[in-house]
Parts: sequence; C-alpha cells; structure tokens
Amino acid sequence: MRWVIALLLMVAPLASLRADDARLYEVKDGNKVDAKTLMGWKTWRALACERCHGAAQEGLVGPPLVESLKRLSKEDFHTTIMNGRPDKGMPPFSASQMVSQNWEGLYAYLKGRSDGQIQPGHLYPIN
Amino acid sequence: MCALASASDVEQAMGDSKNWAAQAGDYANHRYSNLSQINASNVGQLQVAWTMSTGVLRGHEGSPLVIGDTMYIHTPFPNNVYAINLKDQSYKWKYEPKQDVQVVPVMCCDTVNRGLAYADGKVLLQQADTTLVALDAATGKEIWKVKNGDPKIGETNTNAPHVFKDKVITGISGGEFGVRGRLIAYDLKTGNKVWTAWSTGPDSELLVDPAKTKTWTNGKMAPIGKDSSLKTWQGDQWKLGGGTTWGWYAYDPKLNLVYYGTGNPGTWNPSQRPGDNKWSMTLFARDLDTGMAKWAYQMTPHDEWDFDGVNENLLVDIDYKGKKVPALVHFDRNGFGYTLNRDTGELLVAEKFDPQVNWASKVDMKTGRPIVDKKYSPQTTGPDVDVKDICPAALGSKDQQPATYDRKSGLILVPTNHVCMTYEPFQVEYTAGQPYVGATLTMFPSPGSHGGMGNFIAWDPAQGKIVWSKPERFSVWSGALTTAGDIAFYGTLEGYLKAVTIKDGKELWKFKTPSGIIGNVFTYQYDGKQYVGVYSGIGGWAGIGMAAGLTGNTEGLGAVGGYKELAKYTTLGGSLFVFAIPGIGAAQAAAR
Repeated sequence: MRWVIALLLMVAPLASLRADDARLYEVKDGNKVDAKTLMGWKTWRALACERCHGAAQEGLVGPPLVESLKRLSKEDFHTTIMNGRPDKGMPPFSASQMVSQNWEGLYAYLKGRSDGQIQPGHLYPIN
Repeated sequence: MCALASASDVEQAMGDSKNWAAQAGDYANHRYSNLSQINASNVGQLQVAWTMSTGVLRGHEGSPLVIGDTMYIHTPFPNNVYAINLKDQSYKWKYEPKQDVQVVPVMCCDTVNRGLAYADGKVLLQQADTTLVALDAATGKEIWKVKNGDPKIGETNTNAPHVFKDKVITGISGGEFGVRGRLIAYDLKTGNKVWTAWSTGPDSELLVDPAKTKTWTNGKMAPIGKDSSLKTWQGDQWKLGGGTTWGWYAYDPKLNLVYYGTGNPGTWNPSQRPGDNKWSMTLFARDLDTGMAKWAYQMTPHDEWDFDGVNENLLVDIDYKGKKVPALVHFDRNGFGYTLNRDTGELLVAEKFDPQVNWASKVDMKTGRPIVDKKYSPQTTGPDVDVKDICPAALGSKDQQPATYDRKSGLILVPTNHVCMTYEPFQVEYTAGQPYVGATLTMFPSPGSHGGMGNFIAWDPAQGKIVWSKPERFSVWSGALTTAGDIAFYGTLEGYLKAVTIKDGKELWKFKTPSGIIGNVFTYQYDGKQYVGVYSGIGGWAGIGMAAGLTGNTEGLGAVGGYKELAKYTTLGGSLFVFAIPGIGAAQAAAR
C-alpha cells in the first residue's frame, strides 16, 4: 500500500478523486464487500454483463471495463448503462429495476475491479 | 382432419435398410439397422474405408443421411451441406448459407446442428439463424425457405428438422434467453406454415382442448382443464416461459401422433417463477395434421435444476404385465427412465437409470410427480446459496445423445452422463437477447462411483431396470446404433468409436478418431457392402470449453470445469469417418 500513498501524494490534483474512490466501496480479502457494492455485483450477474465484457471484466465483444472505468466518469457511466450504445450492440438497461436501484453499487464494484482491489468472480458480504 | 394428405416418399426410403434416410433411421427413434454383414463375429476386423473433412471445427452432432448412391453431410454453424457421390466420394454439390455471425453468441451450448432430413427429392436444413430451407436433393438449389424465429431475442435452432408424412416439423432453441418454446409444422411441398403449438400460454395457442387433452391425474388420465398453463405461472411470466423444443421428435403413423418433449422454464432461478410452469418439461403427443394435443405429461414440475425434457422418445411395443402395450420410452435429463402408453398417455414406469440420482427419491406413480429431496432443492434454499452435490448435473443423466432400441432383444442401449453439480441460483432480469439464466454451476464426476463421468447402459423398458452398465471416463455424448449383427456402436468424448455386444456390453472393437465424438453412429449399404460411420468433432455442451475457448470453471454453464480433463485426450476437429470390413461385400469383390 505504501507506494499507492506515495503516488497519491505525488499527483496532488488526483488525490481528492482517489479519496472519493476509496469511499466508493469497502473490500476485505479481495472478495468480501460492503452491502451496496455486493448489490452492484449481483446486478452485474443478473444482467449477464459478463457475456460481452468478460467474466473478469477483461473485455470480449464489449470493451474491457477494468480499463474503461479508469477513464469513464460516474456520470458517463450512468448515461452509458441507461441508454446503452445501440450502435455498438450494447442494449439500454433503463428498463431494469435492478440497474435503476443499484447502478451506483455497480459503478463501485467495477471501480473496485478496475483498481485491482476487488477480485474477479463470486463476492460475499463483508460481515 | 386431413386424412387424405398424401405421404411423402420418406417412409419408402426408410424402409430400405441400405439407406440411412432419417436421423434416427426411422420415425420411431429406434436407430436400429437390419444390416448384418458387420456383426459380432467379424466387427474386430473393421477398418477405415474413407474419411472426409467437414471444413468446420466445433461440435459435430447428428449424422449424415444416405439415400441410394448419395450421402448428405452437414456441419455446425455456418451449416454447410455437401452431397457426396458414394461411388468415388466426390462432391455432387455444396450449399454454403450465409448467416449473420451475431447468431453465435446467442447459442448457449456450442454451435451444433443435429442434421438434415430428406423426403420427396428435398433435403431439409434447419439453420442456426432459424431459417428452414428445402434444397433440391439433386442440385442443392433452394426450393423454399422460411424463418421460424428471431435470433435478436435469443431464438436459434440446433435441432434437426423431421419429415413426418407430408409435413416438416421443427422447433426452437433459446431456453437460456427467455424464449417461448413451440413446435411448428410446415407443408413439405410449399413451406407454408400449417400449425404452431406453443409450450406455454393460453389454451388456443397451446393447441389443447381443455376437455379432451388429457394428463396423468391421480392414477388415471383426466382432462387438463381450462388455462392449464396460465394457472401455473405468476402474471405474464409464461411469455418468457421457455419450454423450448430442440430435441428429436417421433411419429406413429398408425395413431397419427407426433411425440416430443419441452425444455426448461425461463430462468434457472426457481424462486423467481412460482408454480408448476406448465407445459415446460413436458412430453406431448399431438395430432400431426392439426397439432392438437391428445395428451401431455409434465415430468419435472417447477424445475429447479435445468432438467430439460427434450430428449428423444423411442416408440416401442412392449409386454407390460402380460399385455402388449404401444409404449413410448424416454430417458429424461432428470435421471428417470419413463415408459408411457403412447396411445393413451398413461404412466407405466418411472425408474432411475443412474443409481446416483438423488434430487428426487422416486416418482409417485399415482400423481406422476417426483418426490423432491429438500436437501438438493435450490427452491428450498433460495437464491445466493450453493446447493451441493445434486445428481445429476444440469446436463442430466442423459442429454440429447440419442439411445437405440435393439429390435431383437427388446433392450434399449443408452449413452449416459454420470455427473453431479453445485447449483447457486440468483436473481436475474430479462433483457431481450441477453442470457436469462440466473444460476452459477460447477460440475464434477458422480462422487462415490467409478470416477468416470459416463456410462453406456442397457435398459429393460418394461421393468425399468438397468441390465448392464459399462463405465466410461467421460459422458457418452454420442448417439448409439444397434444392428441385426448383434452389436451396438457408440462414440466417446476422447474420440473412440466402440462396438460392443448387445447382451452384455463386452467391447469387441474400438478406433480412435482425431477428435471427440458427439455425433450419432449410422450405417448403410452401398454397392453390396455395409459401412458404419460417425462424425468426429468435439464440442456440444460437454465440450463447450474446447469448442468456444472458455477456461473459467463455471463458464459454459458449469461444463468447462467439469470436463477440463478432456484436454488431455483430444482437441478440436471436424471430419467424417466411414468404416468397413475388407473382403466382405460386393464392393470389395468388384475392386479386385
């Protein structure tokens, strides 16, 4: 962890963003997460996102989200999941109750994956 | 009733043992041949006569057809068809359809195709993209072409079309995409749709008569009553109800009834769809001309394990309790071997054809319902809980790999799976064209047994008893063949084609083909000489890891981890192998 802190100190403008991200999700042992993030993962699973984005978010016909989430803002993430990218084959998920309720948890889960803090595969509640 | 409808020449073609004129060789799913040049005493001398590449990798299910001097072979997606001149194994014609590759990602369990049908000078192809085509058997030119589904909402086809009398019968796949199953009949001559019988929904769409269509109720047949399907679903869930129809169909010309089974109900998470979910997991008997159901029998009400009821029905006449009964025998994914009266629909026998089956202790013969063991019930545990050591696994004690009926001994020889699973159901939401599965699975060989993942068994359909069982390292995913030569053939996932005796399963001969065998063994006679053939090409659900390049244990709906060991024995391929015995039959004599 030491180098992460050093890096954050070096890149001062990013530090506040990183700090926000850190609060996005809570993770222990790589596969135990807070309730909101867990619902995010369950939403991922319920909508079969792995079919296009890969079981480890590594990308298949859809882009690798471990990379995309390094660039995509939370707002853009929301827009993309709700409206889809029909021209590229991604359906809109605005009709999904689970997405409407848990999209922030899903964002947190994918950020955790992108940050390398959350492992791919099955997640469990932290307590 | 259209009693005047003229039969096609398919019956005549099937009546000649020299041909292999239908996928099962006949209407009754016997997969039996009267040919006996190759027999128990000489099969040890069987050798490769000729081979041919299909030019396509991935799983090769089904078998070629042989009519006279021509063999018609088919491939997995993109579903090429080749007509081969048996005289010199040259191509008479090739048909190579152009299909949108977008259909591939909506096929759950490999891009298999279970073969062609033939009648009246037409070769029928059911493409993956739901196009049904009639080709001129002489030239390969299209005669007519229809669409029976929409891949954009996950509808595809893997089944073989079947010609019964003057109709072409086909179904639909997509039980993992919230597809609503149906069986469809087309006019062989024109391609015009004659009827569609849905598996779920209102009575008018089910093609049932609430007062006349019957089902097994308290030990006897009784009318199914009004709204028999609608009553067993919450709200309009029946619209995503599954009950797909991708198996092998059968036909009894005397009763004019078509027999088939329906697949799993929509979503594998049982908690999300309360009720019996009729008529998923059901055997149907329907009038060929009208589609109207005479009887229905739901084997696995409210499925919790993905035990699709699509496996073939063998139409056999048996001695049952001292009486001759027109029977239907069905080896279900759920591990029970059923014998019903195929005329009336009465339930006669329901016994486990793999002793390891544990999800139900037995079938209550009065209600016809399985007695479910709560320990192995994902409905009881609810979502997000691992239910461990359920036997069989989702791919069943037997999947699509068809059994064979030995007409001499009355035994049925059955290629089986010997696989168990852990099943974690979870909540899903429906998005058109996206998987609608809702369960994570891992599969493994049946614990406390011989360590292998399959058996080749002989079954007595009147008693419901295993006569003998030959263990195999992997599931026997190949369709079997019996012949008047007192031998049975089947292929293995490692790639062996094997010949065994019918009476005790003793291995008489084997040959290792380059890739795993999931195709069905067939036989024919050309120029006085008997041949036996099979496709070699690993894939299908069991081989999906290799076929689709998947590596995660739970991928391929749990099959990737379960069949990981396969990689030690085989790799992708796509070829046809044809065997014969040198020095036997007229062809050899002529060659000298």
